[in-house]
Amino acid sequence: MVAGAEHKPVGSAAPQGAGRESIFAGPLACVDILGRSLTERTIDRFLEADVELVSVLVPEQNLPGCSFSCASEKVKAHAVSNIWSAIGQELERFSQIGIEHAFVSSANLYIDADVLDLFYFHRESRRAATRGLDREGPLELWMIDCAKAREFDIENLLKQTDVIATTYFVGAYVNQVAHPRDLRRLVSDSLRGRCAMRPVGREIKPGIWVGEGAEIHRRSRVVAPAYIGSASCVGENTLVTRFSNIERDCYVDYGTAIEDSSILANTHVGIWLELSHAVAHGNMLMSLGRDVLLEISDPSVLRSNGSVRGDLIRGISYRDEALCGIAEEKSPDLVAQKSWQLRANPIQG
Amino acid sequence: MSSRVPVIVMELPERLGHVEGKSFLAELQPLLEIDRPRIVLDCSQLQQIDSAGIEALLHSMEEAMKRDGDLKLAAVSPASAAILELMRVDRLFEVFETAEQAVQSFHAIAAPEPPQSLPWYSGYGLADLKSAS
Repeated sequence: MVAGAEHKPVGSAAPQGAGRESIFAGPLACVDILGRSLTERTIDRFLEADVELVSVLVPEQNLPGCSFSCASEKVKAHAVSNIWSAIGQELERFSQIGIEHAFVSSANLYIDADVLDLFYFHRESRRAATRGLDREGPLELWMIDCAKAREFDIENLLKQTDVIATTYFVGAYVNQVAHPRDLRRLVSDSLRGRCAMRPVGREIKPGIWVGEGAEIHRRSRVVAPAYIGSASCVGENTLVTRFSNIERDCYVDYGTAIEDSSILANTHVGIWLELSHAVAHGNMLMSLGRDVLLEISDPSVLRSNGSVRGDLIRGISYRDEALCGIAEEKSPDLVAQKSWQLRANPIQG
Repeated sequence: MSSRVPVIVMELPERLGHVEGKSFLAELQPLLEIDRPRIVLDCSQLQQIDSAGIEALLHSMEEAMKRDGDLKLAAVSPASAAILELMRVDRLFEVFETAEQAVQSFHAIAAPEPPQSLPWYSGYGLADLKSAS
């Protein structure tokens, strides 16, 4: 079998989610979900299917905050300015080196279907392209005949389904992670066992998954199902419940309750808070229940663990920073959103 | 004697921070010093709140409750509601969609006046208790 997989930009693949996902410092496909990002999981999936090459195409605007790890020599990453022409060039390159068929997939797409079945279906159809389709519509997943694709404009080929292309119905679990809400759904479905995605780590009790080096205080309460990522610390008198996931290198401080929420990697959550139906990353908090984005400027409430280390090296006091105020950074994507700032934590006095 | 203290509706400023919180408290303080103050804070204009603002709200409610009164919030935006929830103070305040609803809630919970024509002991008598047992 010959195949290649391309990483499409999360923005163009799911424009409705582009504004929201920029909150989380990079594409959602590169955000760790239960210990491993969707990009890494997609690459693993194609490598398991024994493809010859995997090309990860990252649009230049998505480069900041985009990272993934892969030890395989079959995987190459490229920064591209135009995703469609880059896909076309890559398919042409595949064709020149003798690769007949290629998968094209958005890295945002989580799918439980057997990709080999898609390949066999496509091969029998003898079309230039086969696009995945589920109950809700077309998916960002294609199987392409590299030689035939050269005859067409790649963007038109991937978007249309007529005589040159066909569709393949996917009945298995699908989640096109375009919004933090989809991320929460994926976490919940995974922890419930509704999809094949499994957390990275050990299941120390039924439904409680813990990554390597995670610390859970003996007076904290973790209610299954839940996930605590590697090197994360759950402090005293905390509560983690209702399908919550705390990714790697996080710290949940004294008395805080995390309910139906995702704490993304490198996030410090302050004392005596309540995060409910939310996704937190660094000092950004997206309340899914209220559909609002909050920027918390008080580092004692919510902050990035990475910035703490960096600032401690520079010898900056967080109290001083809180008093001086932190420059407000408004994302151009958030025109309709109002910026909310929170400084000193009244609970800490 | 029934309470006839009027319900005071006060509109919060667009931003409630350290400076605004102080002026807000200074403005509200005389209203909190009356007996059984009943105050509704209209948050419809509120766009930004920080911890000093939350402290000001908590202080105001504490003062109102000391005098057997109450302080309620109205027209809280989703963002401010999320902040209150994050800081775990949302459960301390009664929140209403509109200031009118908040005002009505004060009237709804006011104790009904006993009818003046009947004496206070005109309810169930000893005979009723005996028959019930």
